[in-house]
Amino acid sequence: MDFAFLSVVELGRLLRQKKTSATELATYFLDRLERLGPKFNAVVTITRERAVVEAAAADREIRAGKWRGPLHGIPYGVKDLLATKDYPTTWGAEPYRQQKFDSDATVIGRLGAAGAVLVGKLAMVELAGGMGYNQANASFTGPGKTPWNPDYWSGGSSSGPGAAVAAGLVPFAIGSETSGSILTPAAYCGVTGLRPTYGLVSRHGAMALAWTMDKLGPLGRTAEDCGIVLFHIAGKDPKDPSSVDRDLKGMADAPTKRYRIGIPKGADKDIQAEVAANFRAALKVLEDRLEIVEDVELPDLPYGAVAGMIIAAEGASAFDDLLKDGRLSQLTAPEDRTGGYPALAVSAPDYLRALRVRRPMQRALDDFLKKFDALAVPTRTAVSTPIDKSFREGWPGVTGGANVIGPTNVVGVPAISVPNGFGVQNLPTGLSFTARAFDEGKLVTLARLYQSRTDWHTRRPPAAIG
Amino acid sequence: MDAISRRAFAEQLALAAAAPWFLEEVRAQTPQPPGSKPQAQQPQEPSALAKALAEGVRLRYPDRFTADDLAAITRSIEGRLRAIERLYQTSLTNADEPDFVYAVYRGAD
Repeated sequence: MDFAFLSVVELGRLLRQKKTSATELATYFLDRLERLGPKFNAVVTITRERAVVEAAAADREIRAGKWRGPLHGIPYGVKDLLATKDYPTTWGAEPYRQQKFDSDATVIGRLGAAGAVLVGKLAMVELAGGMGYNQANASFTGPGKTPWNPDYWSGGSSSGPGAAVAAGLVPFAIGSETSGSILTPAAYCGVTGLRPTYGLVSRHGAMALAWTMDKLGPLGRTAEDCGIVLFHIAGKDPKDPSSVDRDLKGMADAPTKRYRIGIPKGADKDIQAEVAANFRAALKVLEDRLEIVEDVELPDLPYGAVAGMIIAAEGASAFDDLLKDGRLSQLTAPEDRTGGYPALAVSAPDYLRALRVRRPMQRALDDFLKKFDALAVPTRTAVSTPIDKSFREGWPGVTGGANVIGPTNVVGVPAISVPNGFGVQNLPTGLSFTARAFDEGKLVTLARLYQSRTDWHTRRPPAAIG
Repeated sequence: MDAISRRAFAEQLALAAAAPWFLEEVRAQTPQPPGSKPQAQQPQEPSALAKALAEGVRLRYPDRFTADDLAAITRSIEGRLRAIERLYQTSLTNADEPDFVYAVYRGAD
């Protein structure tokens, strides 16, 4: 049977109906990871031994009638910044290639408790991009390649999770986002990506880039799958003081109303024509359920300056060992080898100033977001960039769009990206919804509604078939 | 340079070293005449402060950097200094604390 592009929900149904087993699924996806992973530079480590054990345990329980839920027996992968017992955790960076931890990250523990089966650790941009990379080739595994056209980037920094889900190498994956690292690969690879509210998912065992901005979240085939995964990984964790408990039952709700959607000013102006057209077409698909408010403007605050200061200072501190002993020079992208040093010139009062400015910024953005159920924008203003060009050279004519990813990451509110068509070079484009803190239910419901009326999320990249 | 473009420029430079996606987002906000090609950033002589701070980095690791490395580091510091100006344009009072809470610790008795 061809399992590669089935959703978590569909695979779960086959498992419950005894039409497959966890072991058969694990073997199937392990083989795909091994065979196709290198084609997209998507995989760091295949966790075959662990997967075989976890799948056998799942099969025993399922046979005995102990059903743990919708992830029981489902294979998955994680961005290689999550600590995993007995396997290397490389952070995508040469200096950490042999690094091992003696316990699992909380997210992996929670997925294990849900019965999911870890099949692979997936590629990522070195140090999650914290040193300022400006090109796809910024990982010791090479440039991540989108399965839709391997001459183009899979996006970052969750490059492996995006490519692996798109190529049918795993049914879902866990990525991380400090500023765009889930949404971007979701858009460039044509999959669904959900960036949760800061604190909703424990960061314990995850590589820190910026402690006050890092978020972990799922990439999958559908919004429904992402909602299911989030439901199982979210919640308070004593090992992560920033984590919180929230009721996420709303993610399963059927849409019952018209949604008030704000379109930021300039969102589809001076961006790639196909991206703009796909954005408007997507809104048209939902027009009977949306009340659109055009040209809304985010509060005028120094989002970029605050984010830059926080990421620079926290990142330089998180990797102060690399700065001190000079191992930054081992990184793949040349710009990453010096990118951390300027942060040594950041003063403590300036960093604290950024943290102080962020608090009124949070309030102002929440006051703004509460006027809408969600903001809608094209996830990226262009399709993916060629892997042999710097980001600045990729699409030099694209100068427009609205800045939503940046401000909403600084304050830590959630967003979801769904595939909404194809653009230049038949590369996928994405539609994003962004909402107030802890409104993931609303985002998943909106995205599910869109996916119930479209089939972009079911398309298969030709390079990954077989 | 007017206030708006100055702000955008400052943020763009500030983000170059740390967050390429922010850089792109900020660049995307920069107004461009219709039909115009994006203009390359005009190279500017780094300020004396940026040079001094970069020299501090060099002194910390005296054998580590090439001239090109130091030039990149100086440019990045210059950008950050411009962004810092923006941080201080937002009004705060003495009571506006950083957005974290320190909690006292007491272990098991």
